[in-house]
Amino acid sequence: MTDSFAIYRARVIQRHRHLKWKVLDPLEATLMVLCGVCIGGFTLCVGLDVLTRTVGHPWLWLQQATTAFFAWGVFIGMAAATRRHDHIYLAEITKRMRGSRRTAIETLNRLVVLGVALFMVWFGFKNAMLDLGSYRMPWLIPLTVYTGIVPISGALTALFCVEQIINGYRGGYEGPEDSELIAGEPTE
Amino acid sequence: MSTGATLVVMGGLFLGLGYMGVPVAFAIMAGVLVATAFTPVSFASMIGQMFHGIDSEALLAVPFFLLVGELMSSANVVYRMIALAQTLVGHLRGGLAQVVTLFSMFFAGISGSSAADVAVLSRTVAPEMDREHYDRAFTAALIASASTMANLIPPSIMAVVYGATGFVSIGGLFLAGVVPGVMIGLGLMVYSYFFGPLGRMKPRARLIDMFVAARGSALPMVIPVIIMGGILTGWFTPTEAGMVAAAYILIVLIPALNPSHIRRLPGDFMYTGLLYSLPLTAVAGASAFGWMLAYLRGPDTVAEYISLYAGTDPRMIMLLLVLLFVIVGDFIDAVPAIIIFMPIIQKLTKVGDINPVHMGVVIITTLVFGLITPPYGLSLLVASKFVGVPFGQALVRSLPLYVVFFFTIAFTVLFPDVVLWLPKQLLPQSVGCFPNPSGSGFICPK
Repeated sequence: MTDSFAIYRARVIQRHRHLKWKVLDPLEATLMVLCGVCIGGFTLCVGLDVLTRTVGHPWLWLQQATTAFFAWGVFIGMAAATRRHDHIYLAEITKRMRGSRRTAIETLNRLVVLGVALFMVWFGFKNAMLDLGSYRMPWLIPLTVYTGIVPISGALTALFCVEQIINGYRGGYEGPEDSELIAGEPTE
Repeated sequence: MSTGATLVVMGGLFLGLGYMGVPVAFAIMAGVLVATAFTPVSFASMIGQMFHGIDSEALLAVPFFLLVGELMSSANVVYRMIALAQTLVGHLRGGLAQVVTLFSMFFAGISGSSAADVAVLSRTVAPEMDREHYDRAFTAALIASASTMANLIPPSIMAVVYGATGFVSIGGLFLAGVVPGVMIGLGLMVYSYFFGPLGRMKPRARLIDMFVAARGSALPMVIPVIIMGGILTGWFTPTEAGMVAAAYILIVLIPALNPSHIRRLPGDFMYTGLLYSLPLTAVAGASAFGWMLAYLRGPDTVAEYISLYAGTDPRMIMLLLVLLFVIVGDFIDAVPAIIIFMPIIQKLTKVGDINPVHMGVVIITTLVFGLITPPYGLSLLVASKFVGVPFGQALVRSLPLYVVFFFTIAFTVLFPDVVLWLPKQLLPQSVGCFPNPSGSGFICPK
């Protein structure tokens, strides 16, 4: 029986270490802290919103802060999950593969993610610039404050993809954690 | 390229890339972006749609129900609820299997996530079952099946997502989920009693032991009362109820029951912060997919096809939708599936003049079944991983448990009055009832 819960909670996860550059570890740790700040921030905002409304003096800006924390949290988490291999997958067929076949498919998978991430960077940036002229009531905060996270998340995701592609190409994608998911099933 | 071909390319790319190992959110977006290239729609608007997909007030409840589950699981205060379940059903045949199911029913009232339930049970009861020589494959199958109740018994993340995207009352969906949720629980208990492993027979707990266990778990058991009580009395929205439950755990439960855990709270927040982003990035991608699907008139095509066989008969429409979602749930995660297919569901709800809450609970019940079916049975995958048994073995042991789900789904489709009874009593407006202008009570549509 495995207790694999603790390793998933680390600020810098050690699984897939061979696909990571040490120099980007502080970035992963920072993103994890920001994930905590975002959920903590909007928990506090919703709490204060209920409180101020109950006492009859609602702070309307809290709702705007809540949605900002929420949206930023989602897109920061998206980037962090890319580095930590924590995304939701339909299948992880490559874990049963070895050698050049695995390298080809893993690289292709990351190129797809890289492509989507670059679309997020370019078109997300264009959207964010357009949103400078749109405002959210009642405090007239530019929408860019919310949507600006999309290109940032795209850039971070792209960076982590490049990191994994280079390391995977150099040293192969196989790692000791491959056995975790297939739980004793024979590998190809 | 014709509309139909674009739809096929978009869906095919999503599934193909997804099964090749591309993360769901990115596989969906890749499909959408390629399809966009064949339409006059701009790429910028599709990237913008990703953001708008998550920019919803109701979806804010998702992180709170995950946070509640994670805090309860991480702080180890769930042991008290397991102890209560043990005194209540531990003496029955297959005692620990009964405990798993009853505890899941309790925990489902606290957490909205099946994954949290699987994590808690795999860490707590599964080692105990191992010591009592329960077959590991059965343990994984039972834990996975029982964890599905977390998405039916309120609070439920699937209900939040369904309500938020389909503009259906989340409170109504919560209440309507109680009947199928409890039916699955009872079904699993009956199966374990008659057909499951015998386990170690234990004497029936004394009344005083039950009382002590109930007192010990009283603090955690307040959480469902806070959540549903707050929503039903109109004090809180589901989002606020989730926040109040999280605050209760942080301010009352952990300091009272496990004060040493306080220093680990920043870690819990970081991890939950990451955790909630995972389904929601899929939501972001799926909402762009759903938008493109609607743009390409996919819902009309599917609705016409289903109407061709079912006419406007609500039961036939729902049965065909169940069939569709059993297949969909086998291949796609439930949250993106709800968003992608929402335009089709809404169209067919109108065609069959079906109560939206009833339709919602039927779809959610069908999708929770997908959590234990191959190839993408997420709960079964996670349970088999944590329990340490090959997925194939766990799958074989879960096959007989499918009967419980078939029965529950059929009941939910065929007996809307039973399923909607609770929301009609406690939250009548949620199911379309309106106050009687000439007196007390409500008038409800047939």
